Amino acid sequence: MVSKRERERYKRQMALFGEEGQERLKRAHIAIAGAGGLGSPVAIYLAVAGIGTLTIVDNDMVEVSNLNRQILHSDRDIGKRKTASAEGKLRDLNPDISVRVIDTTIDATNAASLIGSADGIVDALDNFPTRYVLNDVAIMKNVPLFHGAVRGFYGQASTIIPHTSACLRCIFPKAPPKETVPVIGVTAGFIGMVQATEVIKFLTNRGELLTNRLLIWDGMQARAEEIAIKRNPSCESCGDITTATRKK
Amino acid sequence: MKVKVRFFARFKELLGTDIVVDAATGIALNGLIRDIAAKNSEGYDEIFDENGTFKDFVILMRNGKRIDSTDAPQTKIEDGDEIAVFPPVAGG
Repeated sequence: MVSKRERERYKRQMALFGEEGQERLKRAHIAIAGAGGLGSPVAIYLAVAGIGTLTIVDNDMVEVSNLNRQILHSDRDIGKRKTASAEGKLRDLNPDISVRVIDTTIDATNAASLIGSADGIVDALDNFPTRYVLNDVAIMKNVPLFHGAVRGFYGQASTIIPHTSACLRCIFPKAPPKETVPVIGVTAGFIGMVQATEVIKFLTNRGELLTNRLLIWDGMQARAEEIAIKRNPSCESCGDITTATRKK
Repeated sequence: MKVKVRFFARFKELLGTDIVVDAATGIALNGLIRDIAAKNSEGYDEIFDENGTFKDFVILMRNGKRIDSTDAPQTKIEDGDEIAVFPPVAGG
């Protein structure tokens, strides 16, 4: 039940999707993989929207070079665990939700248990190998994966509904080479907002999801484009007979 | 025949975008992109390996439809085609 206090807190957004929509957000559990450039805006906006439970997984410490974009963390957090910093900020922003934090590096051995019974996974990672692990977990658990990635003023986003829409590996069969990418906070903010919007739409069952489409944002040109994508029937992750589905 | 090639992200920084070329009849997708990318060696090296084949992570689209990079040598370009070439971005 949405409490009297929550009804007041969420009044302006309940005008969009009613108490029933707010109740859906409150009952929901979303896992956010990464508390960095993308994870920061995603976590902040999902927290203030009233997503009932957020699980945040990250194993890094806050460094001064993070602060141009990782807006969950402040100067006074330098040297602290990102999860501790995130937990404090999110509780301050919205004490009516539950925030779980896990200090670990996601890999193929722990990903399924870290995601647990979450209703969706936000990809706020900084590398493709771990993204493929999350993609496999999303397929195995049949929960959506909200993909986002950034480089400089460019970003991309797509929503993956397993077994229905193209998965991350259908879109990107091979990982790009590893590099330390240049990035500016506004791009992570922009793409993070696309991801958070997708989460809210999915949970409230509103609008048209960014499935089978890759949104490409070019901040320098102020141009958003989309590319139609399709499931790959022989996809290594979500094709008819795959490693991920065999694990079920 | 007129063909439009659009590069994205890092490729665009190095090679530009919305490039309209007068392509030779019968040219294949890999040849078309190789010719355009040849104007900037850094851009070329981002897209092609030392054998002149597309690096495996490069995404190719022709008129909004995905083309597997291994099929590029057999993919003949037609008048009016729009080709998109982009790399996944990976940061977060």
